[in-house]
Amino acid sequence: MLKTTLAGLRAHKLRLLLTSLAITLGVGFIAGTFVLTDTIEAGFRQKFAAAADKIDVVVLPAEDGGRERQAVGADLLEKVRGVEGVADAQGVVRGTAALIGKDGKAAGDYPTSAISIPEGRLNRTEITGGAAPRSAAEAVLDENTAKTRGFAVGDRITVLDSKNVKHEFTLVGLFDVGVDQALAYSGAVGFTTGTAMKMSGEKDFRKIDVAAAEGVTAETLRASVATALGTGAQVETGAKHAEELAAANGADTKILTLGLLLFGLVAMFVAALVIYNTFNILVAQRTREMALLRCIGATRRQVFGSIVLESAVVGLISSVLGLLTGLGLGAGALAVIGRTGLDVPTGAVALAPRTVAVGMVLGIVVTVAAALLPARAATRVAPIAALRSQVEEQTFRTGVVRVAFAGLFLLAGVGATVLGVTQDPGEAALFTVMGGGALTFLAVLILGPVLVKPLSALVGWLPGRLFGVPGRLAVDNSQRNPKRSATTTVALTIGVTLMTLISVLTATLRVTYNAKLDEQFPVDYLVASQGDQGTLPRALAEDLRARPELASVVALRAASAKIGKHGEFEVGTFTAAADFTPKAATGSFGDLKPGTAALADYVVKDLKVEVGDTIAVKTTEDGTVQLKVVATFLGENALLPEVTVPEQDFDGYFGRLGDGQIIADVKDGVAEENARRAVEAAAQPYPTAKVSSSTEIRGEFDEALDMMLMIITGLLGLAILISLLGIANTLSLSVHERTRESALLRALGLTRPQLRRMLSVEALVLGVIGALVGVALGAVFGWAATTTMTTGVVFQLPVPQVLAFVALSGLAGVVAAVLPARRAARASIVGSLASG
Amino acid sequence: MTITGEVGAWNARGNAASAVVARGLTKVYGQGDAAVHALRGVDVSFETSAFTAIMGPSGSGKSTLMHCLAGLDAVSGGKVHIGDVELTGLNDKQLTLLRRERIGFIFQAFNLLPTLTAEQNIRLPLEISGRKADQDLFDRVVETVGLRDRLGHKPTELSGGQQQRVAVARALISKPQVIFADEPTGNLDSRSGAEVLSFLRTSVRELGQTIVMVTHDPVAASYADRVIFLRDGLLVSELMRPSPQSVLDTLMKLEA
Ligand SMILES: Nc1ncnc2c1ncn2[C@@H]1O[C@H](COP(=O)(O)OP(=O)(O)OP(=O)(O)O)[C@@H](O)[C@H]1O
Ligand SMILES: [Mg+2]
Repeated sequence: MLKTTLAGLRAHKLRLLLTSLAITLGVGFIAGTFVLTDTIEAGFRQKFAAAADKIDVVVLPAEDGGRERQAVGADLLEKVRGVEGVADAQGVVRGTAALIGKDGKAAGDYPTSAISIPEGRLNRTEITGGAAPRSAAEAVLDENTAKTRGFAVGDRITVLDSKNVKHEFTLVGLFDVGVDQALAYSGAVGFTTGTAMKMSGEKDFRKIDVAAAEGVTAETLRASVATALGTGAQVETGAKHAEELAAANGADTKILTLGLLLFGLVAMFVAALVIYNTFNILVAQRTREMALLRCIGATRRQVFGSIVLESAVVGLISSVLGLLTGLGLGAGALAVIGRTGLDVPTGAVALAPRTVAVGMVLGIVVTVAAALLPARAATRVAPIAALRSQVEEQTFRTGVVRVAFAGLFLLAGVGATVLGVTQDPGEAALFTVMGGGALTFLAVLILGPVLVKPLSALVGWLPGRLFGVPGRLAVDNSQRNPKRSATTTVALTIGVTLMTLISVLTATLRVTYNAKLDEQFPVDYLVASQGDQGTLPRALAEDLRARPELASVVALRAASAKIGKHGEFEVGTFTAAADFTPKAATGSFGDLKPGTAALADYVVKDLKVEVGDTIAVKTTEDGTVQLKVVATFLGENALLPEVTVPEQDFDGYFGRLGDGQIIADVKDGVAEENARRAVEAAAQPYPTAKVSSSTEIRGEFDEALDMMLMIITGLLGLAILISLLGIANTLSLSVHERTRESALLRALGLTRPQLRRMLSVEALVLGVIGALVGVALGAVFGWAATTTMTTGVVFQLPVPQVLAFVALSGLAGVVAAVLPARRAARASIVGSLASG
Repeated sequence: MTITGEVGAWNARGNAASAVVARGLTKVYGQGDAAVHALRGVDVSFETSAFTAIMGPSGSGKSTLMHCLAGLDAVSGGKVHIGDVELTGLNDKQLTLLRRERIGFIFQAFNLLPTLTAEQNIRLPLEISGRKADQDLFDRVVETVGLRDRLGHKPTELSGGQQQRVAVARALISKPQVIFADEPTGNLDSRSGAEVLSFLRTSVRELGQTIVMVTHDPVAASYADRVIFLRDGLLVSELMRPSPQSVLDTLMKLEA
C-alpha cells in the first residue's frame, strides 16, 4: 500500500506541487513571522547585554511605593559612592528639554529628551562623533536629531529648560541612542549630569549606575550596596537588569508576533480549505482506482491509510518548503525594515527550533486534518464502482440536516450581532459582534453548496448572454458540483470578507471622524504647546485676538484636580468668544455662572451625578469648592476640558495658569495662506507653540488610516493568493476530469479560444460569487463593528473599492484559469477521446 | 487479387457524387524505430446519401482512418476532401469550423455533455455554430429516434441506448454533409443496437444523409449499403449490399 501511494505521488508531481503551495505559503508566513521577531528580539538582547557590560550594579526606585516614587533620590548617590568596593557611581537623569530648531521653533512634535551623559566607564551611550560634554556650556545630540535638524559638531544649539527659558550650548559631540526606542522617537540632548538636572527640572535620578572596583564581583557589590541603602531602593546586578529590560522589550515584539500570526492563521485556514477541496476532488477522480484496489483485496482501512499517508507526505514537503520560504520572508522583511531607516537592531537570521517545530506540526496537522474527511469518503467507495463505465456525476441535494445546522448558526450569528450592535459601544460589544460574524460565516460555509446555484445563475446571466454557448456551458459547469464550487469560493470569500470589512471600517471611521471634527471642532487652527506639555503664555491668545485675519479665538486652560473620592480629573475653562458656543447634551452652557460646572458625558457616568447635582472639587488656591452641575456635553470629541468651569472661577481656583490650547477661526473672505501667516507670526515668539490646522489634522488621520489599510490589505493578500491557488487547483483538476467532454465539444466544433473562454468564464463566475458573498458579509459586519466602536457613526460603504474587490476577484479567477484552460485547449481531440 | 480489383473498379466509377474522398492517405504514429504505420496509402470515396461501414481486424486502422477523414487528426500524407473542401492544409480554426458546419459525430461512448438535457445536447452543434434549429427537422428527428418524452432528461437519467439515440439525433439535426460514427453500437445490447442502426439507415433513406460508420459487428455492417475492409492500414476489400453472412465470410477471408 505504501508503495502504491508513493508511486501515485511521484506520478503526479505537478499536482502535488500546486497542492503543497497553499500550505507552503501559510507555513512560510508563520515561520517568517517567527524569524522576523526572533531576529529583532535577539538583536535587542545583544544590545542590552552589551550596554550592561559596562555597569556592574544598578540602583533602582524601590518597588511598590505607589506611583509617586518612580525615582531614586539624589541623596542616595553619595551613600552609594561611599560604599566599599565602588569604583564609580553616576545618577541617570532623564527628562525633557526642548531643542530649538533652526527656524526658532521647538523641534519636532514632542520636546526632545534631556539625559545625563557621565564621563568615563559608566557612560551608557555611545559617543559616535566628537566628545562627551564636560562642562555646563557643552551638550551632545543624538545622531538622528542632529541630521534631521541640520546641526553639526561645533555649532551652537539652543535648548529650553523646564520653565521655557532659552539656554545656549556648544554642540561638542553626537551619540547613538542604541536600543532606547523612547529616545529614538523623541530625539535627545545630552548634558553633564548637573546640567541635565537643571535643564529638565528633574530633582531625582531614574537610577544610579555603579561600577565595581578591581577585584570586586558584581554580586558582592550588589549585596554591599543593598545593605547600605536598606529598603530605600532596589539594587540589582547590571546583567540581571539588562535581562529584565530585554524581556520588557520582548513583550513589545510579542504583540507584533501575535498580530502577524493572526494573519498567518487566516492564511492557514484558507489553505486547509484548499487542501480539503483538492483531496476531495482527487478521491472523486480516483473512485475507479480505489474500487479496483478494493476489488483486489485492499481493506477500507488500507484505502483510508493511503489517502492519509498521501496528505502527510504533502504536508511534510510543504512544511519544509514553508520553513525555507519563511526564512526568506523574514530576511526580506528585515531588509525592507532596514531600508525604511528604522533603527531596529537585528541578530543573525535563523530558524529557531521552536519555529521549525511549530511550522512542521502546523503544516502536517492542517494538511492531514483537511484530508481526513475526503479519506473517509474514499473508504465508502464500493468495489463494484470499478466496473461502472460512466463516472457518475456527483449529485447534490439540499439536506435537512444541512439547512437545520445552517439555520441554527445563522440564528445565533444574527442574534449575537444584533445584541452587539444594540449594546453601548465598547470592547464587549465589539467582541459580541465578532462572535456573531464568526457564527454567521459558519452558517454561510455550511450553506455554501445551496447558495452556489442561484448565485452562479445570477452572476452567470451576463456572461451566458455575452459569450454564447461557451458562456452557458461555463455557468452550467460552475453549478454541476456545488460542494466543490462552494469550498473553492469560500476560500476566496474569507479574504474578500476581511478586506471589505477593513475598507468599510476605515471609510466609516474617516467620515465619522471628519464629521465629528466638523461638528465638535469647527475651528481652522489649533495652537498648542509642543507635545501638549506645559502651557502657552496668555499673551499669545491676546495677540491672536488682535489679528484681523482671525475670528473667534478661544483659549482653553486646564489643571488636574481631585473630585470627591473619585480621583483626578481635568478641570478647566475656555475663554469666551463671539461665535463660540459649545453644544450641551443636557442642561445649557448659558447657565455656566460662577459656582457651576459643565461635565463631559463620561465624567457624569463616573461620578454618578446629573444636572442639578453638586460636585466637590479640590482646588489649589481655593480649597475644596462645591460646584453645581448645569450642563453635560459629549466629551469624546469636544475640545473642552472634561470638567469645565467659568473663566473667572478657574483663575480663582488654580491661579493664573497659561493656556493649554488656543483655537482660532479664519475670518470669512480671508485667504488661507494669509490666515496661516498671521497665526504663525503670532506664535513665532513662543518656541514651544505649535500650529496645526484642521486640514492638517485630517490629513494626518487620513494618512494613518491609509497606512493601516495598506498594511492590512497586504497581509490579507496572502490569504487571497492562497484561495486563488485553490481556484487554479480546482479548475485544473476539473479540466482533467472533463478531458473527454472537452474533446467532444472540440469535435462538435468548439474552437480552441472558445474552449479557453469557457473555462475562463467558469473561473470568473466562481471568483465573482466568492467576492459577492465576501463583500456582503464584510459590509454588514463592517457596519456592525463600527457601531460598536464609537457613537454617531456615519456608515460609509466605499462603493468603488468594493466594486474593485468584486472585479479583481473575477479577474484573478480568470488569471488562475489561464494555465488549466491552455492545457485543455491544447489537448489533442483524438487522444482525449480515447482516454478513460 | 479479386478483392482489390473490385475496389479499383468501384473507385474508378468516379466521385461526382462523393461526399468524402481520400487519396493516398497515410498516417504514421511516432518516429524512427517506434514508428507505427497506421494507414499506408488509402484511396477511398464515400458516396453522398449512402451508408458505408468500415470493417477490419483490431488495429487495422479503422479509427485512424475515420479521424483523418473527419479532420480530428492530421494526416501524414495524401489528401482528404469533404465536399469541395480539401482538409489537408487547413489550420485548427478552419478545421473546427468545417466540423461545425459539415460533419456530425457519433462516438462509442461519452457522446453527451452530462450537464445538458437531452434536448440541449441535441441542439448543441447548432448553438455552437449559432444557427437556428429547423423546428420541423427537429420534430421529425426527435420523432424518428423516439425521444419525445425524454427531452428534459439529463444523460445520466437515460439508458445507454437512449443516450446513443440522442447522439444520433444530435448528429442529424445540423444536416451535416457527412456523419462519422465510431462503433456507435459497441456498448449496446443487440436490441438497442438494432434500433440505433435502423435510425441511421432511415436517415440515409429518408433524409438523404451520408453516413460513414466504423464497426466490428457483421450484423451492424449489414445495415449499410456498402462495407469496406481494412487490413494493416490498407483498403483490401469491399462489399455492396452486404448481409451479415457475406460480411462474416469476407472477414474470415481477411483474417486467414
Ligand atoms: N496515438 C497513437 N500512437 C501510436 N500508435 C497508434 C495511436 N493510435 C493508434 N495507433 C496504432 O495505429 C494502428 C491503428 O489503430 P486504430 O485505432 O486505427 O485501429 P482500429 O482499427 O480502430 O482498432 P480497434 O478495432 O481495436 O479500434 C494500431 O496499430 C495502433 O496501435
Ligand atoms: Mg478503433
